[in-house]
Amino acid sequence: MREEVEVLIIGAGISGLAIAYSLQKRGVKDILILDESYIGAGSTGRCATGIRASFTSKEHVVLMKHSIDLWKKYAAGELGRAGLYYDQSGYVWVATRDESAEFFEKLAKLHNSLGVNTKIIGIDELKELVPPMKVDGVAGAMFDPTAGKSYPFDTIFAFLKLVKGRGAEVVTRVKVTKILTSSGKVTGVEVEGGKIIKASTVVVAAGSGSRELLGSVGVKLPIENIPRHALITEPYKEAFKPLVIDWDTPGVPYIVQSKEGGFFMGRDVEEKPELPLTSQRIDFMPKAVKPLTKFFPWLRNIRVLRYWVGYYVTTPDHHPVYGPVKEVEGLYIAAGYSGHGYMMGPITGELLAEWILNRKPHIPEAERLTLDRFERGALIKELAVIG
Amino acid sequence: MGEEVRKHPIIICRCRDVTLDDVLKAIDEGCEDLECIKRRLGLGMGPCQGRTCIPLVIGIMARRLGKKPDELLIPKPRAPVTPIPVSLLLKSVDVKGEGEGGDENA
Repeated sequence: MREEVEVLIIGAGISGLAIAYSLQKRGVKDILILDESYIGAGSTGRCATGIRASFTSKEHVVLMKHSIDLWKKYAAGELGRAGLYYDQSGYVWVATRDESAEFFEKLAKLHNSLGVNTKIIGIDELKELVPPMKVDGVAGAMFDPTAGKSYPFDTIFAFLKLVKGRGAEVVTRVKVTKILTSSGKVTGVEVEGGKIIKASTVVVAAGSGSRELLGSVGVKLPIENIPRHALITEPYKEAFKPLVIDWDTPGVPYIVQSKEGGFFMGRDVEEKPELPLTSQRIDFMPKAVKPLTKFFPWLRNIRVLRYWVGYYVTTPDHHPVYGPVKEVEGLYIAAGYSGHGYMMGPITGELLAEWILNRKPHIPEAERLTLDRFERGALIKELAVIG
Repeated sequence: MGEEVRKHPIIICRCRDVTLDDVLKAIDEGCEDLECIKRRLGLGMGPCQGRTCIPLVIGIMARRLGKKPDELLIPKPRAPVTPIPVSLLLKSVDVKGEGEGGDENA
């Protein structure tokens, strides 16, 4: 492992790898990525594979629209040849209450005004998109045709192959214990065992470990690591393509079929922040599946294969923290996606590379996502609130 | 391994149809432990959760990389360990009031 490097990235998940990829495209060669565990061990590899621009704030919609353009571009290019794909199979939002159906109309208008062609669909179109769905009790539905899915490990191994091929060093099982600074500038990091690696630029893309790392230089990152659960069933022949969201059940359950044919299901069940990832909840499995059986009664007859826990690394306004840290020159953050870091990966890479090299991102909305927004009280507001 | 045998794919993981060649390729491409190869190839993510393939891959990897088996980071099994029908799970825990269409219809 090198002892001195130009850009040191902490975290070999989608964010760290995409940042390295975007920096390399702009000519930066001397890059070291460190991870305390294996590649994609954090929230990247534990996510449920969904990608969408249909959000409720302008910042999220705009950033994700750009991210989806990159997902498609990357899948069609060298990353695609290395295994990355984007299956643009859409998201279907299903309402069982009339008020929610009305909310969908407002939301679709918002998306359309920002260039995302979400649309309200009727029962016939819903049945066409999701043939094995029982539509009794459906009050309305919305379809985001730009959304889709992609398997995280295909993505990050593709990034890994290319960034390593271009000379970046990626070292796993090395824990960074401290970020080092001198007179307001970052100088490197210390790793477990006391070894020091010098770097003039350090990027913290360490997901749930980001708060502790930044704390080592007195920078407060307001995140909570909230455990979220997901399960997958045994594989079956393709039954439907889009991801389906049961909007009106508390905890908003969802279901999507994976490339191999297993059904991913998840639901937000109440959890205490910071519980370890080994704190399994067997009650999660029936709680996630039961509400979905009203639309998909046949789920009762299939088997759950595996269930796992991952963190939603959550900020007070549920938007990521991007860009430079004002107090420490050369220190950058890309963390706190609140559950959306995988889908934002490609745009995260571009934005951080721009910040590091040009000091200004090409998407103005991104500038509102820097860490100082919490000091200034300029939290991101949801444009459409459910009411 | 004999040429005659190598004419046919050697299956290492029966759940996901992973072959010996797939495993060797993943190791040569940089997977240095079981946590990595599990996710690269889906080994250990099928119904048996690695009961057949993981012991085989430990041997293959240890020889190929000159590592001791305990350096290869054996993946953790995931609940429910063996595939469980949803209808059974719905009976196992009180999920009354959780959405509609409860297991009384099962």
